[in-house]
Amino acid sequence: MIGLFAAIGAPVLAGLAAIGRLARFAATALAALLRPPWYPAQLAQQMLIIGWLSLPVVGLTAIFTGSALAQQIFIGGSRFNAAATVPAVTVIGVVRELGPVLGGLMVAGRVASAMAAELGTMRVTEQIDALVTLRTDPFRWLVAPRLLAAVLVMPLLVLVSNALGVMGGWLLATQRLGFNSAQYLATTARYLQADDVMSSLVKAAVFGFFIALMGCYHGYHSGGGAAGVGKATTNAVVSSFILILLSNLIITVIVFGS
Amino acid sequence: MTAAIQLAGVAKRFGARQVLAGVDLAVESGQSLVIIGGSGTGKSVLLKTILGLIPIDAGSIRVDGQPVNGLKGAALAAHRQRIGMLFQGGALFDSLNVWRNVSFALAGSAASRRAAAIDNLARVGLGAEVADLKPSEISGGMMKRVALARAIAARPPILFFDEPTTGLDPINAARINNLIRTLVRDLKITALTITHDMASVRAIADRVAMLHGGRIIWQGPLDALDTCDNDFVRQFVTGSADGPIQAAVR
Repeated sequence: MIGLFAAIGAPVLAGLAAIGRLARFAATALAALLRPPWYPAQLAQQMLIIGWLSLPVVGLTAIFTGSALAQQIFIGGSRFNAAATVPAVTVIGVVRELGPVLGGLMVAGRVASAMAAELGTMRVTEQIDALVTLRTDPFRWLVAPRLLAAVLVMPLLVLVSNALGVMGGWLLATQRLGFNSAQYLATTARYLQADDVMSSLVKAAVFGFFIALMGCYHGYHSGGGAAGVGKATTNAVVSSFILILLSNLIITVIVFGS
Repeated sequence: MTAAIQLAGVAKRFGARQVLAGVDLAVESGQSLVIIGGSGTGKSVLLKTILGLIPIDAGSIRVDGQPVNGLKGAALAAHRQRIGMLFQGGALFDSLNVWRNVSFALAGSAASRRAAAIDNLARVGLGAEVADLKPSEISGGMMKRVALARAIAARPPILFFDEPTTGLDPINAARINNLIRTLVRDLKITALTITHDMASVRAIADRVAMLHGGRIIWQGPLDALDTCDNDFVRQFVTGSADGPIQAAVR
């Protein structure tokens, strides 16, 4: 009986300890954001890497998904004479869910893995120890700029993603499904509400925080040479995916659940 | 002479493994002390405990008379300001070019920091033409020199060298040894080096100490190394496979 309790208790305790370590890491990083010295050049470089360099993959994902969504809504809607709902449902679907979630997942795949690999390599090659001996706080130099950059640029990326997703739907609807362009855009504008855009931006900022947090946390605590860096990279991507999907559900229920 | 670095009963355990089991050691000011010992005997851990990178479980560490245990914030930063470190692999920052690496801890305008970096590169025998290269564009020997230039850039009174010649060919290793010896003499630096390269030991040591089983089992002047009657030291110095030191299986 004691063995059973031990078998259940050990992973529970390990899980709680991991959550505690992550919370402490996040708190230290946030505290580092509030106290000087700040490193604007590092922040600008990370904004470029996370935002500008993610635009192609996020943009293509949005266009293709928006087009596919419009096609599916048209097919489904036609079954009960509701094919005209394509612009309204597409814009709501893209802005509330697909734009931020797919954009977040694509950025997580690209950025969380890169952050974990970079910080992990710095850890195993003693570059992080070198930073400390050169009297530079790794949280201020490495972690804080990545966290702030991700929180700042993800909403901008998702705005672009939303616009391109809607454009993808519009392109397919007007070029293939016979919709009138002006009417499609007018309907889209009529059904798009401020709450939809705000929730999308809030989600994007939260996703950005989790992406950078997971990338930095797993990279910072990497060990065990190349294999350890590889494991950190995988863990960063998987955990940021899970946190994006979980936080999306929570925000959706809070904002739209009532 | 006063002890620049004084360790008494320093102990450190990682899980079930007792890495340091009561290290007693003193490094006099202006002296070059080399710690020898096999791989995995805790030499790097010892350096990192003095730097305050790894907390110790027991004992005391004093640098220039000031206790290191429990230092935090500005006091810990001031302690680290007194020590420069050459890491085993160089630990140059991949994202920064050579001059930005060398001048990383220096204050001032970009132009003054670049000039200081070039001055320090010259001290380690490198020309200004390498200043704008990235670490990935230079050889292993040059990386060690750049790392050495970075370690001395802020003119710390104490320098740590972690396996300074590992991975270098004999000629480049001899150059690094000569550089260390010259810098220690010219800049009047207290040096603490860990290595298992006996050529390095003979080139840069004033005194030698051997770490084994988590303790300093012998120490003395370089001249006494070859006449020492300690079996562990004799086996290490001669590089014999037979003797009291057995290769670690894990």
